[in-house]
Amino acid sequence: MSGNNGRGITNRDIFGEVRVEGVTKKYEKEGQCQTVLEECSLHVQRGKLTVLMGPSGCGKTVLINLIAGYEKPTAGRVYIDDTPVTGPGRDRLVVFQETALFPWMTVYSNVTFGCRAQGISRGETKERAELILKKVGLYEFRDKYPTQLSGGMQRRAELARAMINDPKIMILDEPFRGLDAMTRQLMQGFYVGLFEEIGRTNFFVTHEVDEAIFLADRLVIMTFQPGKVKAEIDIDLPRPRDVRMLASARFMEIRGQAIDLLYEEAAKAFSAGSKTAYDLMGALVAQKGACNCLDDKK
Amino acid sequence: MKKISKVVNVKTLRGVVSVVFFVALWQLVVLVKVPYLQNLPYPKEVAVDGIQAAGSKAYWFDWGISLMRIFIGFIAAQLIGIPLGLAMGISRIFKSYTFPVFEILRPIPPIAWIPIAILFWPTRELSIYFLVFIGAFFIIVINVLQGVSNISVSLKWAATSLGARPKDIFWKIMVPGSLPSIVTGMTVGMGVTWNVLIAAEMIAGQGGLGRMTWEAYTNHNIPFIVVGMVSIGVAGYLCSTFIRWLGEKAMPWKRKF
Ligand SMILES: Nc1ncnc2c1ncn2[C@@H]1O[C@H](COP(=O)(O)OP(=O)(O)OP(=O)(O)O)[C@@H](O)[C@H]1O
Ligand SMILES: [Mg+2]
Repeated sequence: MSGNNGRGITNRDIFGEVRVEGVTKKYEKEGQCQTVLEECSLHVQRGKLTVLMGPSGCGKTVLINLIAGYEKPTAGRVYIDDTPVTGPGRDRLVVFQETALFPWMTVYSNVTFGCRAQGISRGETKERAELILKKVGLYEFRDKYPTQLSGGMQRRAELARAMINDPKIMILDEPFRGLDAMTRQLMQGFYVGLFEEIGRTNFFVTHEVDEAIFLADRLVIMTFQPGKVKAEIDIDLPRPRDVRMLASARFMEIRGQAIDLLYEEAAKAFSAGSKTAYDLMGALVAQKGACNCLDDKK
Repeated sequence: MKKISKVVNVKTLRGVVSVVFFVALWQLVVLVKVPYLQNLPYPKEVAVDGIQAAGSKAYWFDWGISLMRIFIGFIAAQLIGIPLGLAMGISRIFKSYTFPVFEILRPIPPIAWIPIAILFWPTRELSIYFLVFIGAFFIIVINVLQGVSNISVSLKWAATSLGARPKDIFWKIMVPGSLPSIVTGMTVGMGVTWNVLIAAEMIAGQGGLGRMTWEAYTNHNIPFIVVGMVSIGVAGYLCSTFIRWLGEKAMPWKRKF
């Protein structure tokens, strides 16, 4: 990995930054027009881990699709290092919300897909693949098909498939959802370790407050309908991060702040009838210790 | 290992029991002369005729003719149908030009094509190939089309981001992604194909298992009618098994461990 140059050094050639400037995204559905993002502006800083939170349906995945270049904004622009995004590119790779490993390829073929598409020599491909597969602990499983892997392994394979290409920006859409609590915690530790080692620009979406704060340099919270940035919080917890920080006073302080902000938006989404928002609000209400509020709504 | 062989044995045993039970029931039906079934031959008569047939060249020649007709018509349907289905699934414009006509022709039962096939093709043999083709064609196209549209857009996006060109997307995403539907289309098509073939042979054919069975009828050779029916059943079963085997070979990622 050429990006292994420690934290703090943010080389323009190795890592990118993302600027979302005044982006509006509308969808036409049977004559009805839905505005998902409106005048949304956001800065994903070079070499930093930016975490995005917001209620379900607020447009996080849509925002990712715009940054990745899969869809085009209705208005506004997305820039990668001052260059406007016109389509998908190898400089920003996405770990999708739904697993997007190619089911008909083995782990090895999945991971080396990018190298092969670019015509990198077999020898170098193999060398890189072995390194990255060992790093994510899947070397023994390289000849398995995705369905033969556990959820956590699939996620690591997806990480490896992206990281082997040394993208300037990594985009991860709820990569740890659906994992059990223990695996999730292990994956968080593993992921934060990778980030601290390599230090590339990361854009990470999650629903979990603790996960968000544990990982992030900067936490961005979105509003619900229309989606735009509601607040940004700098997470000044020291690196390397350690699970023990989850109990620190500073962590608790940030967490309280974030939950208050999220609660407002979750409540809005809840009254708009969003199912996941209901779950999120349930969790938030429990965390706030105000359970009777939900019963009133029913 | 021990456990697996035990399971297989139990399964085989049950299969044998079901066949024996069926033959016994058949014997009983003939013995007690159940109304409307008096003409049914004894299982033994059928077996004797069957064994005799198996020793004759003519019988195997009919097998060969039927299998060849299936093979030609079916392969032609795949060679034309799979690319057509892929093209319709990939290009919206192409689909909007072709799909309406396709949807009008598709519900016509293949057997309804028999008269026109006989009229339009110069030889009977060609019309049978054509009918077999029709039997498999619409099914494979509709399955491939569905298979392509079921491929998740994030797979295409992921591949594009990783640097895949349209050619790679086609060969490495679209084709393997629609393979399960192709195999389904082939399996269903193979079943329909045998239906059509037998009908076509009975009406228009020279030789073949369908014709053989029909001639047994015109000769009032009832045991041999049953021999023909059983032969057709076995042939259809063998063809379906072959397709299933092919599917398993082509899709190692679907194998259960
Ligand atoms: N291709 C599309 N066509 C029409 N509407 C869309 C499309 N993609 C997304 N939307 C709408 O945009 C809104 C935001 O969707 P999005 O998937 O970005 O939410 P999200 O914030 O990622 O939610 P979650 O946390 O549940 O993943 C939803 O109301 C969705 O219905
Ligand atoms: Mg989403």
